[in-house]
Amino acid sequence: MDDDLDLIRDLGRDLDRDLGRDLGHGPPATLVRQRRRLTEAATGAGAGRASSRGVRPRGRLLIGVVAAVTAALILVPTALLGREKGGTPATGGDSTGPASAARALNVLVLGSDTRGGAVEARSDTIVLLHLPADRKKITAVSVPRDVMTTLPACRTASGQTAPRSTGLINSAFTIGGLSCATKAVELLTRVRIDATLAIDFGGFKHMVNALGGVEVVLPRAVNDPGSGLRLAAGRHLIRGDMALAYVRVRHGLGDGSDLDRIERQQRFMAAMVRRAKNLQTTSPLRLAAFIKAAAASIDTAGPLDLGTMQDLARSLERTGPGAVRFATLPVRPHPTDPNRLAINEASAGRLLAPFNK
Amino acid sequence: MVPAMTAPLTGARTGLPVVSATATDADLIERSLSDPEVFAALFDRYSGMLYRYVSKRLGSEVAEDLVGETFLVAFSRRDRYDLGRPDARPWLFGIVTKLVSRHHRTEAARYRALLRSPVDGHVEGPADRVASGVTASASRPLLAEALAGLPRRDRDVLLLVAWGDLAYEEVAQALGIPVGTVRSRLNRARRKVRAVLGDTNPMNDNEEA
Repeated sequence: MDDDLDLIRDLGRDLDRDLGRDLGHGPPATLVRQRRRLTEAATGAGAGRASSRGVRPRGRLLIGVVAAVTAALILVPTALLGREKGGTPATGGDSTGPASAARALNVLVLGSDTRGGAVEARSDTIVLLHLPADRKKITAVSVPRDVMTTLPACRTASGQTAPRSTGLINSAFTIGGLSCATKAVELLTRVRIDATLAIDFGGFKHMVNALGGVEVVLPRAVNDPGSGLRLAAGRHLIRGDMALAYVRVRHGLGDGSDLDRIERQQRFMAAMVRRAKNLQTTSPLRLAAFIKAAAASIDTAGPLDLGTMQDLARSLERTGPGAVRFATLPVRPHPTDPNRLAINEASAGRLLAPFNK
Repeated sequence: MVPAMTAPLTGARTGLPVVSATATDADLIERSLSDPEVFAALFDRYSGMLYRYVSKRLGSEVAEDLVGETFLVAFSRRDRYDLGRPDARPWLFGIVTKLVSRHHRTEAARYRALLRSPVDGHVEGPADRVASGVTASASRPLLAEALAGLPRRDRDVLLLVAWGDLAYEEVAQALGIPVGTVRSRLNRARRKVRAVLGDTNPMNDNEEA
């Protein structure tokens, strides 16, 4: 009898289905990045940096999503309301008052990593958030950075105009900063963007530190060399690099799935909110440090005016940190360049339909 | 040149080499010796399959990188490929197996996680998924325990057969061992799996012995 082999095959199909739930059917379109590694080796294009192997640290994209959503849900309200209270105490006085006529908002969050003195800031993480008028449920759609698209004509930092061209979506930020990235994402997704903000991931660590750490509970001991996370089972106050590793780690905690990690990140965000709210009453000094760390890592230039931000901040207080739906912009391999991605317009249209209501 | 009607994966429009869908893997590898970019066609054929295999053993995050690594290794060794073997799957799975062995901690953690996974109550999705998950999950912890307990070499053979869909001869090629060794490792592995599953039928021990 082959019963035992069949059971293992069944388990395999089961795991495939789990994978399908995470990624949709078939291998991820992002496998094209690996194809690019191969063709670079084949054409000798990668020869100059063969030693570095061109592998990016894992997990940065997810850190980006966490940071982006954290920013939208926690940092923006806290930083802005805090600033408002500290700076101009005359305003309103009571942020729980009648909600200003809320309308649905689309917010673009760009995450960049300027640690290690990168030559140019690039938007490594691009997340489009939809906040419906009732603010109850938020949708976060991350845009893979190697999607090829039409880049609009943009004004560069030196005041010149870069012509309309075709290129990677994340290069728009390099060309013309926040406004250029905003226009490019609008062009790609056909979603009207109300506000854009950029955050520096280097700041995430500092924000956790400014809170004095965040408490987590581990069901069992973890020692994951991949992420550097090494903790005994039980309750821990984690900070700095350990906090980064905690939200980044995938193996050794939970069931190893993306859903599990996203839930863990959401719990972490919830813990950050609790901690920040707690500090509001117990340690205003520490809260001030947190707000400073948050403000230092968020760039709110662009089409986002202070009034919109304050509305946003107030209305988001009603949103629980668990009420975020994560998705990735549907992509497919690019028709003319098998090493790049292109937007899958039909599926993307369906996913983004609520954004344009 | 091969006519374009063969739906090339590396398109004519890009100026990349046109590859026939009917060319054997060995044909592609041979052509790649003089025209390296042809090797990408091998990626297009097998990356998805290898990705699914590695994902099952190590999870999807490690899988993406590991598949990329596999093709880089394969590319650098293509001049040593035995062109008498039209099907390159055993060769690629052999490379994958070596790379997977570097991640034994990850793999062990994954099986440990599977031991616990069905307790997760908040499965998002249609009710039928939840229902099908219930039957499948009944044996899942036991299977995970069995897989975790196998010596690496036995597990490699078992999973190349069960998840890689390789025939015994292909497993032998992949691992560079005799077919007899494949059979004995597979039998040993299956015996242990059955023992963990609590199978007491002694008849099952004797097949293929």
